[in-house]
Amino acid sequence: MTSALPQHAYALYAIFALGALGLYCLLPRTERARTIPGIVIGSSALIGLLLFLGIRIASPTSASVYFCIFSALAILGGVRVITHPKPVYSAVYFVLVVVAVAAMLILLQAEFLAAALIIIYAGAILVTYVFVIMLAQQSGRPTYDRRAREPFAAVLAGFILMAAVAGQVSTLPGSQDATSRSARMASDESLPAAADESADPLKGSNTAGMGVLLMTKYVIALEIAGLLLLISMVGAIALSKKRAASERIEEEARPIGQIGKEVKPF
Amino acid sequence: MTGVGEYVVVGAILFALGLVGFLSRRNLIVMFLSTELMFQGVVVNVVAFSRLHEHVDGQAFALFLLAIAAVEAGLALGLLVLLYRIRGTLDADAWSTMSG
Repeated sequence: MTSALPQHAYALYAIFALGALGLYCLLPRTERARTIPGIVIGSSALIGLLLFLGIRIASPTSASVYFCIFSALAILGGVRVITHPKPVYSAVYFVLVVVAVAAMLILLQAEFLAAALIIIYAGAILVTYVFVIMLAQQSGRPTYDRRAREPFAAVLAGFILMAAVAGQVSTLPGSQDATSRSARMASDESLPAAADESADPLKGSNTAGMGVLLMTKYVIALEIAGLLLLISMVGAIALSKKRAASERIEEEARPIGQIGKEVKPF
Repeated sequence: MTGVGEYVVVGAILFALGLVGFLSRRNLIVMFLSTELMFQGVVVNVVAFSRLHEHVDGQAFALFLLAIAAVEAGLALGLLVLLYRIRGTLDADAWSTMSG
């Protein structure tokens, strides 16, 4: 496994370089649109990535096919989130990313988290985003949406990050280890299974395991998370209140002779 | 079944896409959408490693990540509305007076 690292890493470098080039072409720009070459290069990089991941998967099962489908959906949605010139469409594509990621979590046997992700992200956070977009977005297509800032430097930073990951990811257990692991688990199941039923929380219901863990080991963290949500609510309210007060002060401060004559408590 | 390395690659790609979006887009809302994209990548990573070690702890971390994401979204969007009311634009460059 470890001996096969360089080829893996070089293939990943090439794929990521291709993807970075496609992303660079796809980022919004005013001078000259390079959409078509961007789509060609980007999709070829995506196909290369899927082939690479498919080669790593030793025995194609339904789970690996689903993984390829949903990872392609997530990556495509992510690219559209950052390249679409209209923020509303970015938010809609982000919903696609959330759904694809939730499907991948189900493939990873994290059902509770998948449901929570859909409810919290696609249900709550995205609605807030769309609400703010409707509230604050200027009509038409403003210039700051049509022109990316330093696209080359940004894409280069992303590529360097991905290259650093690609050098390390081959050392992770791939499909071979996983198949041996699942084979080991299958052979374990031929043994009397009642012994490790309580020891392994992943067996049985995922939701029940999460609930037990959150209420025992992470109960303090859970309380702190609730407190944090409360603090952020207070902070959001304080922000909007401060805005009203500062605007009033700004309006009154305009006539210079008036400054300092009258101080109103807000 | 699929190994963990593939999920880590996809999570890293989502994170890098979010990074590129945050660095290159100039709309404040899209910048914060990019941070949410990075959160998605981290969630995929954490849950994949939870699967690798056959622990539920990673999924508990991911749940706390969701809580942090909710906090961040609430505060950030409140801040965005505040900034929009003051300058009347969502351009991040409208607030670049401190960068000189």
